[in-house]
Amino acid sequence: MDFNLMIDITPLLIKAAWVTVDISARALFLGLFIAAALVALRTSRLAPPRWLARAYISVVRGTPYFVQLLLVFYGGPAIGLRLDPFACGVMVGAFNIGAYISEAMRGAIESVDSGQNEASRSLGFGRLATLQHIILPQAAGLMIRSIGVLAIILVKNSSLVSIISVVELTYQAQRLIGSTYKPLEVFTLSALMYIVIIYAVMGMIEFLYRRATRYTYR
Amino acid sequence: MEFDFSPVIEYFPTLVQGVGVTLLIGLAVAVMSIVGGQIVAVISLYTRRVVSWPLRFFIWLFMTTPLLLQLYFLYFGLGELILIPAIVVGILGLGFHYMAYNADIFVATIRSVSDGQYEASRSLGFGHIRTLIYIILPQAFYRALPQLSNNMIIMVKDISVLSAIGIGELVYVSQYAISVTFRPFEFYITIAVIYYLINLMMEAGQSWIERRAAYRR
Repeated sequence: MDFNLMIDITPLLIKAAWVTVDISARALFLGLFIAAALVALRTSRLAPPRWLARAYISVVRGTPYFVQLLLVFYGGPAIGLRLDPFACGVMVGAFNIGAYISEAMRGAIESVDSGQNEASRSLGFGRLATLQHIILPQAAGLMIRSIGVLAIILVKNSSLVSIISVVELTYQAQRLIGSTYKPLEVFTLSALMYIVIIYAVMGMIEFLYRRATRYTYR
Repeated sequence: MEFDFSPVIEYFPTLVQGVGVTLLIGLAVAVMSIVGGQIVAVISLYTRRVVSWPLRFFIWLFMTTPLLLQLYFLYFGLGELILIPAIVVGILGLGFHYMAYNADIFVATIRSVSDGQYEASRSLGFGHIRTLIYIILPQAFYRALPQLSNNMIIMVKDISVLSAIGIGELVYVSQYAISVTFRPFEFYITIAVIYYLINLMMEAGQSWIERRAAYRR
């Protein structure tokens, strides 16, 4: 182990780790909106929107993220979709994780006893008001837990955008190996950084979970 | 831009070969990760801390770092010390990755088998090991099946990542075909459809297994 080298390359890897965090955070932010829209479509009273959402979720969950990235980045220009690598990473990440998150959201909402919905509706709350004041506060705990797991998967999947030449942690590590020929040191250091990032995410999930379940006694 | 799928038809035998490699790797990894996961789970639950804590550390390590990095680490990092063929690295890397996830599931399901089962079995004269093998593990295994098959569906999609270390599976052979024909869109659409079909079959298999397993829980 060459510790001097490890100290030398740390600033470069930290910079790249920030790109990993940046790309994952943006994808998660966009993905939450996509997921909410998908949930709205799936619980629609009309059949066609429901079919559309089910088909979308099934296809996205049924094909590898890796292939989706390659398809949009290298195949996109054929249908006039030109994205720079970073934007492509964010978009594909968001549309991918959005499908998974929508299932997590739906599962959490359905886990709330249907009597709660009926009671609230019969007390005069509208559909949206019921969702906002009665269902969501009770579903929040489970929802945060399952979205948290997906957020961790998103961070780990962000290593795959190195394949479309976004200079994030894994890509930077490969470049450094190209110039130093010390794979063991560089990969150990970048693995450590992933662990730090994922620990931070886990801490945030725990914090949000505690906040969301402050008033529920379950 | 018009689409021309004739190169895809021309290279279809190559793609089929890629599918074959993908499925073979999937089978090897499934066997390794399920058997290994079971062993890791039993050891980490029923042995002293000296043995179980290093194993828990191993599970934790594989769950907190990305698969691609693990593959690079095994292929390029350990390749510095000993040269291992890419296909072996791929199967071992993916196998260890999913072994960690499966072990996690087995730990949870073994715990969920009630203590009464253990006590009843011991009082009927079974030893500790026999109780585990004949009473606890079979029940835990049937309970683990839905989540196991879920993991295996995710795993088959992750095989596409192995193309990054040069294993000739579906994505790798299509990347080769693209570099010859310059038709990325057509090829990537085709392999997306192929993956989707594999996935649909696996989902059908999953619901079949679940129906069978429901009798035995």
